[in-house]
Amino acid sequence: MNEPDDIVISVNDLSIGYGERVILEKVNFRVRRGEIFVILGESGCGKSTLMKTMIGLNPPQSGEVWIEGGNLVTAEGEERLRLLRKFGVMYQSGALFGSMTVLENVRLPLDEFTELPEQLKELAALAKLKLVGLGGAANKMPSELSGGMQKRAAIARAMVMDPGILFLDEPSAGLDPITSAGIDLLVSGLARHFGITFVIVSHELASIYAVADRVIMVDCSAKGIIAEGKPAELRDGAADPWVHRFFNREADPSHSVQPT
Amino acid sequence: MPQLSQNECEADVKFGPDGLARVVLKGRLSARSVVECWNSLEQELRRAQIKTLKVDVSAVDFCGGAGFALLRYLNMGKMTPGAAVSVVGLAAGFQTIFEGFTAQDYDAFHPRDQGKSHPLIDETGRAARQLIGDLRDQVDFLGGVAANLPPSLVNPKRMRWPEVRHVFELAGANAVPIVSLVSLLLGFIIAFESAQRLADFGAQIYVANTITVVMVREMGPLMTAILLAGRSASAFAAEIGTMKVNEELNALETLGLSPIRFLVVPRIVAGVLVAPLLTCYSILMGVVGGALVMLGLGFSLMLILHQMALSVHLGDLAVGIEKSVVFGIIVSGVGCWRGLQTQQGPSAVGLSTTRAVVTSLLLIIMADACFSTISYFLK
Repeated sequence: MNEPDDIVISVNDLSIGYGERVILEKVNFRVRRGEIFVILGESGCGKSTLMKTMIGLNPPQSGEVWIEGGNLVTAEGEERLRLLRKFGVMYQSGALFGSMTVLENVRLPLDEFTELPEQLKELAALAKLKLVGLGGAANKMPSELSGGMQKRAAIARAMVMDPGILFLDEPSAGLDPITSAGIDLLVSGLARHFGITFVIVSHELASIYAVADRVIMVDCSAKGIIAEGKPAELRDGAADPWVHRFFNREADPSHSVQPT
Repeated sequence: MPQLSQNECEADVKFGPDGLARVVLKGRLSARSVVECWNSLEQELRRAQIKTLKVDVSAVDFCGGAGFALLRYLNMGKMTPGAAVSVVGLAAGFQTIFEGFTAQDYDAFHPRDQGKSHPLIDETGRAARQLIGDLRDQVDFLGGVAANLPPSLVNPKRMRWPEVRHVFELAGANAVPIVSLVSLLLGFIIAFESAQRLADFGAQIYVANTITVVMVREMGPLMTAILLAGRSASAFAAEIGTMKVNEELNALETLGLSPIRFLVVPRIVAGVLVAPLLTCYSILMGVVGGALVMLGLGFSLMLILHQMALSVHLGDLAVGIEKSVVFGIIVSGVGCWRGLQTQQGPSAVGLSTTRAVVTSLLLIIMADACFSTISYFLK
């Protein structure tokens, strides 16, 4: 498929769901190289499922996901492995391997996929941990880390092979504002210094305003994208009342308990 | 000069007078490409006597974690011991990151000692402390069950009957296929083994007696209990353990509900009901297995049934049923107890499950030995 050079991910007519149930239907969007792209939406509307489909974990009902010139939906064998190496993923819970130290978690991909000598693997993993602010936690077990530290360690593991794209699932969920701001700073820094393209699933408005270059908003009832653009534009000029309420953090009057 | 591809890096080494050396790195220093540069630098730098090394990275397009690792490795003089090493030409953004990852950071790292062995006395002390902790837990657990079970039995509204029914189905009805197969084959095995020995005495007809007595008094209850331990004790421990890890037990406590009444009592009641029924079924299947072998040996069905009826009394069946009730209590109680003991961490639920099965089997065999001893002396 021919796309302009700056398009790294291209999602075409993608429909996702479980069994007969359709969650999102014929979704289309593009992600440009080096941008921080956020997928937004209310809880349970299929954001994480969309991300899992984009990274090849969930087969779609129909449609295509092109990553760096390869269709991940149809790719098999070596081609699929080649495409999987183009990106790293941070899962919502961190998904660190509990039986390994933080350093072992981070260096695991280096052990499995590179011929680097031992000292260099260790140094490279330490460098990544230092980069995410966990230089002193290399020898700890994941259970000894706080939620924010686990997410940082997961980001270090996701980027240890220097992929061009990072998918982050709810990086700020459940974190205090300071830790959350730290993650935002890390994401912006990595995008700036390494030119990494970020695809982030989130509904944390503060983080979105802090880092996002562009957002799309998915909606369950519309089963598709109901808004696309820069966060500030959507906050100030969204035509859809639901999008306006979301970006301005206004309650739905029909859901609220009226004071007596 | 050939162009480097997007995923390649190149190391060019030049030696000057007075131990001076200059390394020019080009291309992309990523996790996949660095190994090529590493190999060529190892070959060229290790064998040279270098006093001053200058690493020029101004032609590097990208420097990832492995790239920083290589630069810091060179900078620490690991390839050129004793030499003064400088890294120049790194792009501003990468330079900041490179300076943030120092040789001190590397030195401060010491791998966790995972293979550290403990002296025997330490291990013994630890095991003894765990045993005492286990005993205390057992007493706590038994006290909790003793306090919650009778009120739930006396007042059926306190009992969660839908949960009992659900567990009964999972532990009982769903276990029927495996109990059928194992018991049938057990009957086959016992019948064939005893038939060979009894044939020497011309007493093959007594295979029917053997199989019936063995299945009713011993193998029926024991095999059922072993299968229940493998299927249900482990399932109870895993289910309750996962609930504990997910703080569902804390939620029960703060709602004012006792986890023992809410989770343990229904499982014990279901276990006590399901074990005798499965045992009776197991005995039946074992006897059928034995009868099939005897039919194959040429005995008539009427003769086999007659011998079987002669060999066991109601008392034998009562012993088998009594055993199965006790085994049912052991399996469900131990499964729940080990589940409640689950600690935090990724392997905690797995550990509880293993402990549930091992403890159940141990207690089943011990209880069986007690039954045999008591029954011998009472006869």
